[in-house]
Amino acid sequence: MHARVMRCVVAIGLFSLAVLLPAARAEDVTLEVWSHEADEPAKVAFRELAARNLEKAHPGVKVKITWYEKNPLFAALKTALPAGKGPDVFYLEPDQTEYITAGYIVPLDDLVNWNNIEPWARKVWMRDGKTWGIPQEAYTVELYYNKDMLKQLGVTLPSNAQFTQAQFLELVKKARAGGMTPISQGVGDRPYPGAYIAGEALLRKLGPDDYQKLFTGKLSFADPRVVETLKWVKELVDAGAYPKNFMTLKLGESHYYFYSKPGALMLPMGSFYTGRAFVPEDKGGQPPTFPLGIMQYPAMDKGACNECKTSTIGASFAINAASKNKKLAAEFLDAMSTPEMGKMWIETVYLQTGIKADVKQFSGPHAAYFTELMERQKGEKYFVGQPRDMVTGECKDTFAQVLNSGFPGGLLTVDQTVQMMNKACFKG
Amino acid sequence: MKGRDAVPRAIDARRASLGILVAFLAPALVVYAGFTVYPVLRTFYNAFHTITPRSVVEFAGLANFTTLLFADPVFWKAVINTALFTAVATAIDVVGGLLLALCLFARAPLAPLLRVVWFTPVLMSYVVVGILWVWIFDYDWGLANATLRFLGLGAWEQSWLGQPSTALWSVLAAHEWKWLGFNMIVFLAALHALPSEVLGAAELDNCGWFAKLVYVIAPMLKRTIVNLTVLSFIGKMMVFDLIWVMTGGGPLWSTETVSTYVYKRAFEWNTFDLGYPSAIAVLWFVIILAFVALMTRLLRPRDRLEF
Repeated sequence: MHARVMRCVVAIGLFSLAVLLPAARAEDVTLEVWSHEADEPAKVAFRELAARNLEKAHPGVKVKITWYEKNPLFAALKTALPAGKGPDVFYLEPDQTEYITAGYIVPLDDLVNWNNIEPWARKVWMRDGKTWGIPQEAYTVELYYNKDMLKQLGVTLPSNAQFTQAQFLELVKKARAGGMTPISQGVGDRPYPGAYIAGEALLRKLGPDDYQKLFTGKLSFADPRVVETLKWVKELVDAGAYPKNFMTLKLGESHYYFYSKPGALMLPMGSFYTGRAFVPEDKGGQPPTFPLGIMQYPAMDKGACNECKTSTIGASFAINAASKNKKLAAEFLDAMSTPEMGKMWIETVYLQTGIKADVKQFSGPHAAYFTELMERQKGEKYFVGQPRDMVTGECKDTFAQVLNSGFPGGLLTVDQTVQMMNKACFKG
Repeated sequence: MKGRDAVPRAIDARRASLGILVAFLAPALVVYAGFTVYPVLRTFYNAFHTITPRSVVEFAGLANFTTLLFADPVFWKAVINTALFTAVATAIDVVGGLLLALCLFARAPLAPLLRVVWFTPVLMSYVVVGILWVWIFDYDWGLANATLRFLGLGAWEQSWLGQPSTALWSVLAAHEWKWLGFNMIVFLAALHALPSEVLGAAELDNCGWFAKLVYVIAPMLKRTIVNLTVLSFIGKMMVFDLIWVMTGGGPLWSTETVSTYVYKRAFEWNTFDLGYPSAIAVLWFVIILAFVALMTRLLRPRDRLEF
């Protein structure tokens, strides 16, 4: 009896081993990825393709991408990571330095193939001599406009596509008098778009060095050049530059406001504009015949750098320090960063990228747009980073409430703005 | 009918062995400990610590509380907004709910329809209600301004959620639209439970409608009123979702509440330090607890009504 039981146990043990061994292959792994931009089909398709490519290269590997919107993603990460959990790979942007200081992401210098990444884009992610994220999306801060509306107003864009600050103010007044909304913009769900005009004006007026000092607490907002610039912005605001529903209009709605209903003359926006605009019209995209143009932000009087432009890295990916699959995670980052994928990014997302991509000629329905975008980059000096990348804590909150919302929303005077920004940001 | 002693020993909970009691209670206790007790204790612990980079926890003593109380103007703005919202919304909730219930109790025309209409918003989520009211308050295409224009009151149209002077009250209007129906239903149930003999006697004594409400109905509803006041007070002191969806605390912190501020400090300040937001949460918890204790003591019925 005893021997029979033993034989039975051994048989069950052998059978279990036979069944379980194949399932325990080293490569039977699910790589967890958390990504923002659930509402941008081109980016979803891009990352899903990279996932499938990795799966093909590694039988037994499954890449599971969970799609989020930005705020829920970071709320989930901020609770998961301190608990030692979270995905292997996750979406991150370069201003989120707290993930580096808290030790929740690993340096990627020796993990990923940097030959496929533009050195300037990699530099944005470098802290303390290490690279913490792989840059995917690059964008410039652009000033889009409706060519037909500009023509209706009888205004011609200068040959360098840049109005002076006085001409720009006149344009805003003329548009308002003509019953148009001069600038479509809303701060209903983002802490930065309301500051595009002021930020770009300050960059041109101060030049890159002093601009950086301003947002890192080393230059006072009471500096006469800053005050002069803010007074000009205030004139725009008082001339009715922004929509009346500026405070509640959401980012995506401001795009729609610009190209569909009710329509606006201009839209200051990152060149990631295309992510929402270049989807089919029935899914909220811009009409195929929309006369989209790009102009430079106005040249400031006595501007230190009127050819300056903000360029920055947006969507990036980092590897969780607690991940047990760091090597595989790095391979996923590589799979998203091949030259072929870079080309696909440009041709489907219509946006700049930090991935090296050999695209000399643009094709497709939006080729003219991308050609004009590249035209607007000629001779520009880039300042890499936006104000929100440079400010933290109280200064960041005040930037969102004051420079992004209250000031362009017409709720604050220049003096109040200077006082509030200095109190929160200026370190003396 | 068999007596209590006839209940089989095996299923009489009062005579069950400790092992059986533990086996039945453990799942609920584990869930309660894991999802309520531990987070609360952890929040208290965090409030006295600072989580520095690389997740090192440092004892901070009362530093978080002193900064909060003496050097954080946004916190005080949030406290004032929350207090204002709580006081007004609680009063409207209780008084408004009672009036709506009385309206239905008195069998007003279309009462069954009104009951459904007034209660339906209670079934909707705050997010849906928030989005709906953001549209209603939109300057250009919102119903509020459109109605004003239709009535020839175009001069009064404004950015309801974009002005510090109107934003908090606009959110409050949306909140009342959603929540008044709940209090109405509770009051209606309480009204239907009142003894018809007492109400009938009041009518026989030629007691007017208002006198009947003040001297007969209200005293008999006192327990319900106190309970709803306390519940409403607690809910309003922790208001978050509707404000987050509608204004995010803006413009210029004019709708910032303590809860939205805790969230911002915890998740939007480029830091993983949960010490400071925990200190806000702990302080607010203590304040709510103190007020609830005070309210319960002051408002509780001293004489038990017999009816």
